Amino acid sequence: MKNKFQLKNGALLVIVAALAVFPFVSDSRTWTILLTQIFIFAILAMSYDILLGYTGIVSFGHAMFFGMGAYTTAIMLDRFEPTLSIFFLSIAVGMVIAAFVSFVVGLLTLRLKSHFFAMLTLAVSGLFLVLAEKWRTLTHGNDGFTFKAPEFFKDRMMFYLLVLVCLVLVYIFLRRFVDSPLGKVLVAVRENEQRTKSLGYHTLHYKVIASVVAGIVASLAGSLYAISLRFVNTSVLAMDITLDALLMTIIGGVGTLIGPIIGAGVIELAQHYLSGLAKDFPIFERWIIFFGIIYILAVIFFPKGIVGSIQSVFSKKKDKSFDPVLKRAKRKEVVK
Amino acid sequence: MELIINLTINGLATGMLIFLLAAGLTLIFGLMDVLNFAHGGLFAWGAFSGVWFYGLTNSFTLAIIGAIGTGIVLGFITEKLIIKPVYGNHIQQILITLGFMIVLSEMLKVVFGPNQIAAKTPPLLSGSWEIGDVIIIKYRLFIIVVGFLIFGIFQFILKRTKIGLIVRAGVMNKEMVQALGINIKQVFLYVFMVGAGLAALGGVLMAPYSGVIYAEMGMEFAILAFIVVVIGGMGSFPGSLLAAILVGLAGSFMAYYVPALSLAVNMMLMAIVLIFRPQGLFTAKG
Amino acid sequence: MMSTLLKLEQVHTHIGQYHILQGVSFEAKTGQVSVLLGRNGAGKTTTLKTIMGLTPASSGSVQLEETLITKHATHQIAHRGIGYVPEDQGIFGALTVEENMKVAMRKEDDMARERQEYVLELFPDLKKFWKKEGGYLSGGQKQMLSMARAFVNESKLLLIDEPSKGLAPVVIEKVMEAIVEMKKQTSIILVEQNFMMASRIGDTYTLIDDGATVHSGKMSDLVSNEELKRKYLGIG
Repeated sequence: MKNKFQLKNGALLVIVAALAVFPFVSDSRTWTILLTQIFIFAILAMSYDILLGYTGIVSFGHAMFFGMGAYTTAIMLDRFEPTLSIFFLSIAVGMVIAAFVSFVVGLLTLRLKSHFFAMLTLAVSGLFLVLAEKWRTLTHGNDGFTFKAPEFFKDRMMFYLLVLVCLVLVYIFLRRFVDSPLGKVLVAVRENEQRTKSLGYHTLHYKVIASVVAGIVASLAGSLYAISLRFVNTSVLAMDITLDALLMTIIGGVGTLIGPIIGAGVIELAQHYLSGLAKDFPIFERWIIFFGIIYILAVIFFPKGIVGSIQSVFSKKKDKSFDPVLKRAKRKEVVK
Repeated sequence: MELIINLTINGLATGMLIFLLAAGLTLIFGLMDVLNFAHGGLFAWGAFSGVWFYGLTNSFTLAIIGAIGTGIVLGFITEKLIIKPVYGNHIQQILITLGFMIVLSEMLKVVFGPNQIAAKTPPLLSGSWEIGDVIIIKYRLFIIVVGFLIFGIFQFILKRTKIGLIVRAGVMNKEMVQALGINIKQVFLYVFMVGAGLAALGGVLMAPYSGVIYAEMGMEFAILAFIVVVIGGMGSFPGSLLAAILVGLAGSFMAYYVPALSLAVNMMLMAIVLIFRPQGLFTAKG
Repeated sequence: MMSTLLKLEQVHTHIGQYHILQGVSFEAKTGQVSVLLGRNGAGKTTTLKTIMGLTPASSGSVQLEETLITKHATHQIAHRGIGYVPEDQGIFGALTVEENMKVAMRKEDDMARERQEYVLELFPDLKKFWKKEGGYLSGGQKQMLSMARAFVNESKLLLIDEPSKGLAPVVIEKVMEAIVEMKKQTSIILVEQNFMMASRIGDTYTLIDDGATVHSGKMSDLVSNEELKRKYLGIG
C-alpha cells in the first residue's frame, strides 16, 4: 500500500517537474497560455470537487466566488498601482470577501434540501451578476475594463510558473484537507447525512466549512484568471463558469481532486481544438453541445468520471459500491 | 391611479407567464420529487418554435398549437431519455437536467441561429384601449386572460376528474397510489408532457410580449419560476399561481419605484419564505 | 387441505445499504387469516411491502397462485388482486372520503358500485363522512377508509398492517368485526402486535425475528405454546 502511495506521488512529482521546465524548452506562446488557462481552471474545478465530490453538495453559484476574486484583483490593480504586493494583497482581500460571502450564504442555505440549495445558489449568483452589471462605476458592467498587470508578469513564463505553483499548493492543501478527520466527516455527510447527524456531528457546520474552503480557492482561481486576461467583465460571474467547473469535475472524476485537474485539461484542450474546427465546420461553434451530451452520458453511464473509472479498473478488490471513497469507508467499518 | 393600474397589469401579465412555467415545475416536483432544471429550455423552445410557426402560417393560433406540440414532444423526450435513467437520485437528477438545459439552449442556436429574433404581436391583439387616462395594452390583457383560463381548466381537471384526483393523490402519497393499482410512472410521464406543454405555451406568449427572443431567456425565466415554486409550496398548483402573481407584481412595482431592488426583491421573498416557512406558503402534501 | 394462495421462499430484501429481510419463507392459504408476528423491527412491515413490490426482494421468490410476482411492479401486483392497507393507512388527506374511494376504484362499473355499497355497509361511518376530507377523519375512520379502499376492488388477498395501532378498544372491536366479515370474501395477511386480537381472528401464524421466519403453524398451537410466546413475543 505504501509503495503504491509513493509511486503515485513520485509520478505526480515527475509530471509537475516536466510542466515546470516546459516553458524553458518550448517557445510556443500558444501552449504556455493554454496550459496557464488549464491550471487556473484546474484550481477552480478542484474547489468545486470539494463541494460536489467530497461533500455531495450541488452548487450552481460557484461562479460568484470566482468572479469575486477576479473583480477584486482587477479593481485593486486598476485603482491602486500594478505592483506585485498589491496583487498579492488583492488575492488575500478576494479570499476574505469570498470566505465571508460563502459563510453567510452557506449558513442560510445549506440546511435546505439539495434541490432548494441548488436553486438558491443559482439565484444568489444571479444576483451578484446583476449587481456587477448595474454597479457600473466599479465594474463598467458588461463592457468590462482592462488594467495593467504587475511588471513581473509581462513575461508570460513567470506567470505560468506562478500559476503552476498555486496549482501544486492548492492541490497539497486540499489533499490534506480531505484526508484530515474533518474531510472524512464531509465524506460521511455525502454518503448519509442523516446517519452522520445521528452520530452527533453538527453536519451544517461541516458543510459550511466545505463551502468556505471551496469559495476561498475559487476566489484564488478568479484572481489568477483576471491577471491572465488583464481584463475583466461580467462574464466571470456568469453561469458558464460554474458549468465549466461542473463539467470538468464530472468528466474528470468526482471526489478525486486529480480528476478535476485532468477534466480541466480535457475540456480546455477540446474547447481549443473544437473552436478551431469551427472555421471549416460551423457546427463546432456550438461545441458546448458536445460537452452537454458527453456530460449527460457521463452522469448516466459513467458517474465516476475518467479518474474514478481508471481507479476502479485497477483496484483489485471487487466492491459493489460505485464510489472509491465509500469503499474505503466501508472497509474501515468492516475492520472496526 | 392609472400608473398603479398599468403597473398592476404589467405585473399580472409577467406573473402569468411565470405561472405557466411554474405550474409544470411544481406538479413534476410534487409528484416525483424531480426538480427539472431543463424546464426553462422547454420555455425557450416554445418561444422559438412558436415564432417560427407564426412566420410560417401567419396564424397566431397555429403558432400556439405548434409551440405546445413542440413542448409536449420535447417533454416526452426529456422524461424518457433524461429523467428516467436517474430516477430516485437527487444529485444526478439536478446535474443531468442542468446538462440537458445546456443542450436544449445550444440546440436552439443551432436550429434558429445564435442571434436574437424579433417577435411580432398578432394584429388582432396589438394596440391598446384607452379608458379615460388608463391605457390598457391588449396583448397584456390577453396574457392575463389566458393565464386565468389555464388555471381554471387545470383546477377543474385536478379537482373534478379521476386523472386529476390521481395526480393529487400521487403528490400526497406515491406509494399508496401504486399500491392501489395505478401505474404512477405512466402518470408522471403524462404530467411531465403536460408541464412541458405549459412551459412552451408560456414561451410562445412571452415572445410578442417582450418583442425579442433569445436562447438565454429560458434560464432567466426558469429562475423566476423556481422562486415561485419555492414561495408557493412545492406541489401546490394554486400556490404557484398566487406566488407567480406576487413575484410578477413585486417585480413590476419595484422596477418602477426602486429599480435597483427589482431583482433582489424576489430573492428576498424567497429567502424569507425559505427561512421561516421552508415548505412554502401552501402545502400540497399530507 | 386448502390451496396455497401466496408463497414466499427465502426472500431477502435490502433497503439502501441495510439488509432487512434475511430469509423470509411462509405460505398463506386461501380463505384464511395468516398473521405475521414478531418484535418491533423484526421485518413484518417490510415483508408486506416486499409482497406488494414497494421494496422489491433482492433474492428469493414471491408467488401468487401460479404466478411469480417477485419482479412485478407494485401496480401490476395490485391488479393481480392484492390489496394493501399500510401501517399509516396512507389516506390522501386533502381528498374527501368519496375521492379517496374514487382513486382506489379501478373500474367504475355496476359490480364496483355494488362492492362499494357493501363496503359502506361494513363501515357506516364512512358514509356519514362521505364529503369530509381524509385528513380530518379520526384514527379509526382512517383505518376503515384504508381498508375500504383496498377492498373495493376484487381482491384475492388483503395485506393489513397493524390495524389496531393507536385505536381505542371499542374501535379495535369494530375493525376486527370488519376483518372477520371481509374474510368471507378474501384471504388476509395481517401484521398485528396486539396478540389478543391476532389470536382471536388468526387461523395461522408466522413468527419473524431479525428479518427471518423462525416458526409457522396453527394459531391455536401458538396460543398454548408459552415458550414460543415468551421467546419471540415477550409475552406469557
